[in-house]
Amino acid sequence: MIAELGYLSLTLALAFAILLSVYPMYGAVKGNLRLMQSAPSFALAQFIFTALSFGILIYVTLIDDFTVAYVASHSSTTLPWYYKVTSTWGGHEGAVLLWVLMQTGWTAIVAFASKSLPWQLRARVLSILGFLGLGFILYTLLMSSPFERLLPYYPIEGHDLNPLLQDPGMIIHPPLLYMGYVGLSVSFAFAIAALLMGKLDNTWAKWSRPWTMAAWLFLTLGITIGSWWAYAELGWGGWWFWDPVENASLMPWLVATALIHSLAVTEKRGVFKSWTVLLAIAAFSLTLLGTFIVRSGIIVSVHAFTTDPGRGSFILSFLAIVVGGSLLLYGLRAGTVESTSRYKLFSREVALWLNNLLLCVATLIVLLGTLLPMVHKELGMGTISIGVPFFNQMFFYLLVPFSLLLGLGPMLRWKQNQYSHLMKKLVGALVVTTVITFAWLYSSYENVSTTTLVGVFFALWVCLTGAIDLLEKLSKEGASIAKLGNSFWAMHTAHLGFACVVLGVTLTSAYSVEKQVKVNPGEQVQLNDYSYRFEGVKVVTVFKDNQKVTELYAEKRQYDVGMQVMTEAAIDAKLSRDLYLALGEQLSNGAWALRIYEKPFVRWMWLGGFLMAFAGLFMMLDKRYRRKTAVAAEVKGVTA
Amino acid sequence: MKNKSLMLVPFIIFAVLCVFLLKGLFGNPKEIETGRLGQTMPAFNLPDLMDENKRWTDKDLLGEVYLLNVWGTWCPTCLIELPYLTKLRGQGVKIIGLYYEQNYDPDFGDVFDLPALQREVKGMLSRTGDPYQFNILDLNRTLALDLGVSGAPEHFLVDKDGKIILHHTGDINERVWRAKFAPKLLELQ
Repeated sequence: MIAELGYLSLTLALAFAILLSVYPMYGAVKGNLRLMQSAPSFALAQFIFTALSFGILIYVTLIDDFTVAYVASHSSTTLPWYYKVTSTWGGHEGAVLLWVLMQTGWTAIVAFASKSLPWQLRARVLSILGFLGLGFILYTLLMSSPFERLLPYYPIEGHDLNPLLQDPGMIIHPPLLYMGYVGLSVSFAFAIAALLMGKLDNTWAKWSRPWTMAAWLFLTLGITIGSWWAYAELGWGGWWFWDPVENASLMPWLVATALIHSLAVTEKRGVFKSWTVLLAIAAFSLTLLGTFIVRSGIIVSVHAFTTDPGRGSFILSFLAIVVGGSLLLYGLRAGTVESTSRYKLFSREVALWLNNLLLCVATLIVLLGTLLPMVHKELGMGTISIGVPFFNQMFFYLLVPFSLLLGLGPMLRWKQNQYSHLMKKLVGALVVTTVITFAWLYSSYENVSTTTLVGVFFALWVCLTGAIDLLEKLSKEGASIAKLGNSFWAMHTAHLGFACVVLGVTLTSAYSVEKQVKVNPGEQVQLNDYSYRFEGVKVVTVFKDNQKVTELYAEKRQYDVGMQVMTEAAIDAKLSRDLYLALGEQLSNGAWALRIYEKPFVRWMWLGGFLMAFAGLFMMLDKRYRRKTAVAAEVKGVTA
Repeated sequence: MKNKSLMLVPFIIFAVLCVFLLKGLFGNPKEIETGRLGQTMPAFNLPDLMDENKRWTDKDLLGEVYLLNVWGTWCPTCLIELPYLTKLRGQGVKIIGLYYEQNYDPDFGDVFDLPALQREVKGMLSRTGDPYQFNILDLNRTLALDLGVSGAPEHFLVDKDGKIILHHTGDINERVWRAKFAPKLLELQ
């Protein structure tokens, strides 16, 4: 009975989603204020009923109601309560419901945090969000309800949550990503509303900036934690695999990164207006497309038993309506927009435009790499597969111009710049970066490849140019740390984060070592500076120069219910290196297979991710976004 | 930027993409074709699963139409199709197993325990029925690699001259057999 209430509650949410997507929009078109003002209440009701529905799903999981098919296949009585809760988004149906919860949640937040917006805009934005909510709720109700029953024959014990997902990293990873995806729908709604009203001025850019930043912040966190989870939990020391699921999250992130930069230009300078709108549409479209790719089974393991084209058809139809509709609208409306200010070739506008261009190229590469095998097959040209080397190589090529500009960009002024003034600083930075790169790498490592040199050079380049810019701005008269503003600091923190990621990826790719050995208890293995003594099952003592460094516990865990065996990697983490052990199979007479990795600077990657996310948070807290009245053109030149 | 038709470009690209996605959605991902189709069986020389002294080569298999079934005891789908394959054997279809050993990796210090595997296979086949004339053990997965096998189960229908006539990924059941294999087999005999 309870589960049916969950379904019913979601049906009510659907009703409010329909109301929300119709009435305020109609009111906005007709100029009826009362209809427009109905939007926040509808949004709130939509959220409350969705939350109730999700609460019921959690409840039936907690009481182990295995008559509910979803609970039976994703939970079990032996799970601790917190994993029972997280098992509600451990499978497709529950994950979609979580998505709906967040979609309606964001809508409700927008409804009440947008009081300073004119009703014409506010009603349209909320209506568009309501329409998106409508699509997702309908999908849940028709195609993937988590409340289906297994009656009259139901199991007395559940299937258990996939052991891979029984990990704190996995508890927060999907919700964070969904927060990001859904957050992008807000930028999307703002863009469409602006297109509908034909008012593509910098006001909409200003309003949508903090929302976009929030979405970007969640995406960054989600991806970072996802990568960390894969590293710690999957047991082969990898942190990024370029598989379709990861690519589905990377593409929106790349476009969202372009978008936050482009929004800054539009807000400050009133240029790139139609481009920014296109990016906002693209960012959300790519989350939908990513969902379609991941959820429809269009790219599947060849040995999946059956895939359900019903779900795929629904998502594709929704995708066609939302994305096709908005791109058509864009095609019809955006052509009429004109830029209001002028700029020279050597200016911050152009630097940011190039940044956007490179990010879009990166997105395109990921998109092509993900979809090309499928397109290729549909054209009857046989099957191809695109693997990790393709992506790595392409991203390496992009890194060069991107980081070069990233160092340069913050120093440039809006409109135009004098070369000579800048050149001196740049040449200085170039020389210092080169010297440090060479000195560091050649003193620490025996083999230095070009790739490593380039990677480390650009990581340091970004840091150094950032520091120069910082010192220069601080040395100006009357400047202080506080006066430079949140956005300025956020920008430099985010760029520093990027540098950390580049440094981490470069060094860990170049200098990771691994060894796969067969060890008997008491046996000692040497790898680089460390020696590892296998003390018997699980325990490995690590020595360096005969000094004990640490004890590691590499495990194989057997999960009772699903009978799955999981490798739990043991990691000794430091900023400069990770020691990473994974226990393999037990071999004959007490020996075990053991994999040992030493991964220098691998932490820096996630550190960089967190820095970027933190920067996003800092930026959102900027006072400018909480002012009651919108100041349209605020040209100060220091913030970006 | 003022050119209106240029602004429609994203829409057009998206529309084209949608067509492909739609086709992909209703296309069957299992129809990924091996490059070997229409060619002769790759040369090999591998031991018998049950008798390690007996060896099989591609020449030994010439002269008869047979179905090569790539399988392993670790593969749940194989388990499901074994009874049906056994029924096919009763109808006179010659089925040869290519045992695909998934886990063995000598670089990782794995020791291969053939008697244990033989016991496991015997145990499994006694429960599901044994469809095989004999099984070829592809310990290092070399033949599977040459055939372009991407997992188990996979099936290759091979004619008298050793030419690969048909390739099927996934399980064989009544429906698949009637639609795909039976007509081809009639043609060949």
